[in-house]
Amino acid sequence: MSVLPLPDMDGAAADEVATEPVPPSRRRGLPQLLRRPGSGLGVAWLVFLVIASFTAPLWRPYEVDEQDLAHRLEGPSGAHWLGTDPNGRDILSRIFTAGAEPLLVSTLTVLVAFGIGIPLALMAAQRGRRTEQVTSRLTEIVMALPSTILLLAVIGVIGIKIYLVMGILGVLISAVVYRIMLGVAQSVRQRLYVDAARVNGLGSLAVNLRHVLPGMATVIAVQAAQLFGIALLIQSGLAFLGFGPAEPQPSWGVMIQTASQHIYDAPWLMVPTGLVLALTVVAVNELADAIAGKVTAERVVPRRRSRVVASSTAAPADPDAVLEVRDLSVAVDGGPQLVTGVSFALRPGRVLGLVGESGCGKTMTARALLGLLPDGVSVSGGSILWQGRELVGLPDSRLNDVRGREIAMISQEPMVALDPMFSVAYQLIQPIRRLRGVGRAEARKIAAELLTSVGIVDAERVLKTYPHQLSGGMAQRVCIALALTGKPKLLIADEPTTALDVTVQAEILSLLRALVRDTGLSVVIVSHDLGVVADICDDVAVMYAGEVVESGSVAAVLDDPAHPYTMALLGANPHVPDGEPVPRRLASIAGTVPPPGSWPTGCRFAARCQFAQEQCTVPFVPFPAHGDGRATGSVRCIRVEELARAHVTWDADDVGAVVLVGADPLEPADETAPTAGVRS
Amino acid sequence: MFAYLARRLALAVLTVLAAVLISFLLVHATPGSPGAIRAGAGGTAAEIARYNSELGWDQPLWRQFLDYLGQLVRLDFGTSLIDSKDIGADLGQRLPVTASIALLATLLSGLVGVLLGVTAAVRGGRFGRFITSSSGVALSLPAFWVGILLVFVLSLQLGWLPATGYTRFTDDPVGWLTSLALPVLTLTVGGAAVIARTAGAGMREALRQEHIRTLRAVGTPEWRIRYLHALRYASVPVVSVLGIQFIALFGGSVIIENLFALPGLGQASQAASSSHDLPALVGVVVIATIVVVVTNLLLELVVAALDPKVRTS
Amino acid sequence: MTAAPAAGATAASALDPAPVLEVRDLVVRYGSGRRARNAPPAIDGVSFDIAPGETLGVVGESGSGKSTIGKAVLGLQPATSGTVTLHGQDITAMSLKQRSRLVADLRVVFQDPYSSLNPARTIGQTLVEPLALMGIKGVAALAKARAGLEAVGLPGDAADRYPSQFSGGQRQRIAIARALVCDPKVVVLDEPVSALDLSTQAQVLNLLADLRDQRGLAFMFIAHDLGVVRFLAQRTVVLYRGQIMETGPVEAVNSRPRHPYTVALTAAAPVPRPAEQAARRAAREALGVGTAGAAQPAATGCPFVPRCPLATDICVAERPPLRLVEGTYAACHHAERVPQL
Repeated sequence: MSVLPLPDMDGAAADEVATEPVPPSRRRGLPQLLRRPGSGLGVAWLVFLVIASFTAPLWRPYEVDEQDLAHRLEGPSGAHWLGTDPNGRDILSRIFTAGAEPLLVSTLTVLVAFGIGIPLALMAAQRGRRTEQVTSRLTEIVMALPSTILLLAVIGVIGIKIYLVMGILGVLISAVVYRIMLGVAQSVRQRLYVDAARVNGLGSLAVNLRHVLPGMATVIAVQAAQLFGIALLIQSGLAFLGFGPAEPQPSWGVMIQTASQHIYDAPWLMVPTGLVLALTVVAVNELADAIAGKVTAERVVPRRRSRVVASSTAAPADPDAVLEVRDLSVAVDGGPQLVTGVSFALRPGRVLGLVGESGCGKTMTARALLGLLPDGVSVSGGSILWQGRELVGLPDSRLNDVRGREIAMISQEPMVALDPMFSVAYQLIQPIRRLRGVGRAEARKIAAELLTSVGIVDAERVLKTYPHQLSGGMAQRVCIALALTGKPKLLIADEPTTALDVTVQAEILSLLRALVRDTGLSVVIVSHDLGVVADICDDVAVMYAGEVVESGSVAAVLDDPAHPYTMALLGANPHVPDGEPVPRRLASIAGTVPPPGSWPTGCRFAARCQFAQEQCTVPFVPFPAHGDGRATGSVRCIRVEELARAHVTWDADDVGAVVLVGADPLEPADETAPTAGVRS
Repeated sequence: MFAYLARRLALAVLTVLAAVLISFLLVHATPGSPGAIRAGAGGTAAEIARYNSELGWDQPLWRQFLDYLGQLVRLDFGTSLIDSKDIGADLGQRLPVTASIALLATLLSGLVGVLLGVTAAVRGGRFGRFITSSSGVALSLPAFWVGILLVFVLSLQLGWLPATGYTRFTDDPVGWLTSLALPVLTLTVGGAAVIARTAGAGMREALRQEHIRTLRAVGTPEWRIRYLHALRYASVPVVSVLGIQFIALFGGSVIIENLFALPGLGQASQAASSSHDLPALVGVVVIATIVVVVTNLLLELVVAALDPKVRTS
Repeated sequence: MTAAPAAGATAASALDPAPVLEVRDLVVRYGSGRRARNAPPAIDGVSFDIAPGETLGVVGESGSGKSTIGKAVLGLQPATSGTVTLHGQDITAMSLKQRSRLVADLRVVFQDPYSSLNPARTIGQTLVEPLALMGIKGVAALAKARAGLEAVGLPGDAADRYPSQFSGGQRQRIAIARALVCDPKVVVLDEPVSALDLSTQAQVLNLLADLRDQRGLAFMFIAHDLGVVRFLAQRTVVLYRGQIMETGPVEAVNSRPRHPYTVALTAAAPVPRPAEQAARRAAREALGVGTAGAAQPAATGCPFVPRCPLATDICVAERPPLRLVEGTYAACHHAERVPQL
């Protein structure tokens, strides 16, 4: 009974469950739960307990008050499997006879708590702020009442009417249920399908029952299970204190109380009853964990990198290159490849764009450069030569000498890329001191200078702010300043403007361009937007399904695309230069990017390509292309020369409104990489 | 911030008032009367009536309530129906016992729980899984049963600690500590498990955050990332749960005090409940509510100090 | 702005004299209490018409209030003042339930294809729901739902599946099918392609254009991307801080913007041609438009003043009305002096 107000230990998890649409696997219900050994056993025990308790009068070997004074306080024996109590009564019979009441009473508590809490939460979430504030204040008061002591007071006044008492407990707990469910209901109501149903004119009751409540089901199940466990503990705790059923009616609490008095002469007595009660609560909580989808084998944070040995140590092909990536492969550990055979070189002061749609591996490639791949994903082959030094296979401690000092990174979501708990000043000063070896006062001066250099006018004020007080554009500037603290020579920018407004994007791109011009910084920029690439990049590598399909100078690739995929991407872009008419139809590509693990041999784009032929399904090596004397590139298309001769363009009219999408449109198409939370 | 604090304080006062009102109404809903309880089984009707009018029971309800509030403001909780002792003085003596158990258990739970949870999140692997699943079991165990097991092992088998009883701090500080050791340990088993889970989940979530990658990208040392940035991020839920733990341990002290024969508030409420000592019951409820309300207020201040988002809004 | 003519009324009247959707002087404030009353409204006096079969693009950056307008038109967000008229019927204050009884002509497609379909319901159940509310039930409803799926390029048996079995682009097609299944006249498209990849985005845009032309639908197309609006819309409304900066035929607004903000917005959208983009960048940097979110504008004047290179005293003192300047309506005191890209 140590936990009366529901410990909100699952608050975070509950919220996660609520905001994520239920993945299909979770809908399969019970069998899925049983796959976890713990919860399988838990469910088995609960089923056994319920059946055994409610049928106890039919099978119990002795009556509950049948005394065998010759055999008092005995251990397990053939006659009494679980021994006997101080009056010589059979413990086995008593334990299971006692089970029915706590199970019923705890169910009642849960029903009362949810019967009040959920409708209240649904109503508050629906009615909006004013109603919500009134109900929330009311429940805060109820939550602040000391429930255990209040229950004792209730018993003191009305006596031991256990159903009534536990019902009142349910009323008290309903405030906690309300609090948890309100958050869930509000987050479910923000889902757009609720709005869509409301626009359709569905009544509010139907909206709640059909759309809001099902979205809350997981959390409700988890909380109900936990609450059941707590009610069970409280009920037996009350019985332990002497507020349980009267003798000779057995109860777990009283039996444990008796055991505590005979701990000197019959320690065995505390084992069976305690074990049954503990097992039951453990089983219920295990069930709750399983429903919450909390795998106990949670992903851990080992910062151990795979021990891949660089596959080539030959001299760099491009003697001027500061960074050279050769045949880089990235894979999920023990899973599919995410990136294969990516090669490119970057000269000082140049900007390289990695461009492609979601799931093409461009972000994975960029992150591999700094050894910052997500857990469970690692470089599986190839080489990353940074100023002649091999980075693949380096331990984190050695990579830390490179990170920040030589290569830095900015990411897609500037608002979450800064630590919300620390001020901007702290987050800048700390790496400045470490990377530049200066004192605090000097570091603060440098921090202000850095902020000014990234176009922040009131640097002193911004230094004092916390990340949540910054706008997206401002936060990205701070992130760039942070990346510059160690005076790096290479900046990796992962979709640095995707989350920003278009005018802010233009400002950030101008800033990056100025940095490249003024400091000789090299940049690898990941983007899905060919316009951004055209704006800032010197070179570009177009990626599709984990490999580079076309590379070369930006002017060569974008003005004269050789690979059908590049052609299609350009044709799909609705941004046409001024003066040109907007196309009547946009080019589009049938189907979706094949997920990692199901890439075909030969050309991976063949299945979606307008120009695919038989020969495209056999493996081949990329052809050199876009050579202009200074930079070279490649094209991974076996028909490249043929297509170039024919002056083909990607036909815009192949996918219409009534044409099926893709060859197999109902393939469960998950456009993101299989690793959770990894987006490319 | 000031207006916010004022609002929280007003709500706190309202909560205490609500607690007083509820327990007051509860007492008055009882079929018997305080006079009958004081007079005992052999009391005559005249005796009961005299007691009742002495206690003001014959006054209108609202009058009695206002009188009682007036008493409370003067910290007068009335006298016990059973032994006519001053309830305020009695509870005043008991409060430190319960408070020290709850406080020590909370602190120890926090220490052990954070240590285990952070280790589980950082080390991971089989060890991390072991901590996560065993804390799942530990938080499900009934405290009174854990208490008995601990008495059996630590007191009866090993003889390290006294099984029951209470020594005052002023009488013997070391004896005080050893007399509290078993109850505190008992409560810590479940408490530390809850904290370990919260801290573990918090750390895991913190280490998944985008800003952790930003820190890695500038070569921040791993210890700094884990024990400064991630731990700070995880500290907000941990502190909240610690507050809830304290409240729960305070309320749940009834059973522990019964088991270890400790003269605390819980024991008083059990006794008052068994003997229908109505003024004492109301007193316990009021004091417990005040403890909860004050803890909640402190909790909000601590969270505001930890989380700049709360602090600056 | 009450004195201003109905925004773009002339352009609309060229297509049809009777607009299917009219919005007049719409004001939306969030929250209640003194603080909310003192804050600038999310939507501040917006008026526009949409003719049958026409697509009106509503463009703006985050915080411009473009999605709020959509919500107010749909009845998901109560209007503080102003009117929304559908087929000549004032629906501003009507509850969603009343609307469904009186007008089945207004539907919506949202941005996020992942949260716009209930994961616990089959596609069929999702599509049948609006039909049931119109009294079409059973086999007839199911047949209509299947026809609706086929119309958006999905097989009819998709009705038996759950949303998780579809990709983002396919889900967006389903959302479109749900909006169209009860043959509405007006569809609010709230950033329907922003969450999609480029090639999928093109598929959905083509589909929307086809459906509009086949069925004579009117779209209120909310987007942050001028290029996308230019593809789909005939007329456009450019919003900044809840106010209309410029409105007119989409080609005119694009090729010869008359408001400094429209110029900034157009210039900032990058095109995938390196040489062309370099020229645009140079032009944009020469404009001298201030950084977003630099300072709060004065409540009295033009909201764009803190960023505007042309701002003078009158811009601070007086809010410019929408006025006709060579083919588009612009709310700028200096519309004639606005530089060309």
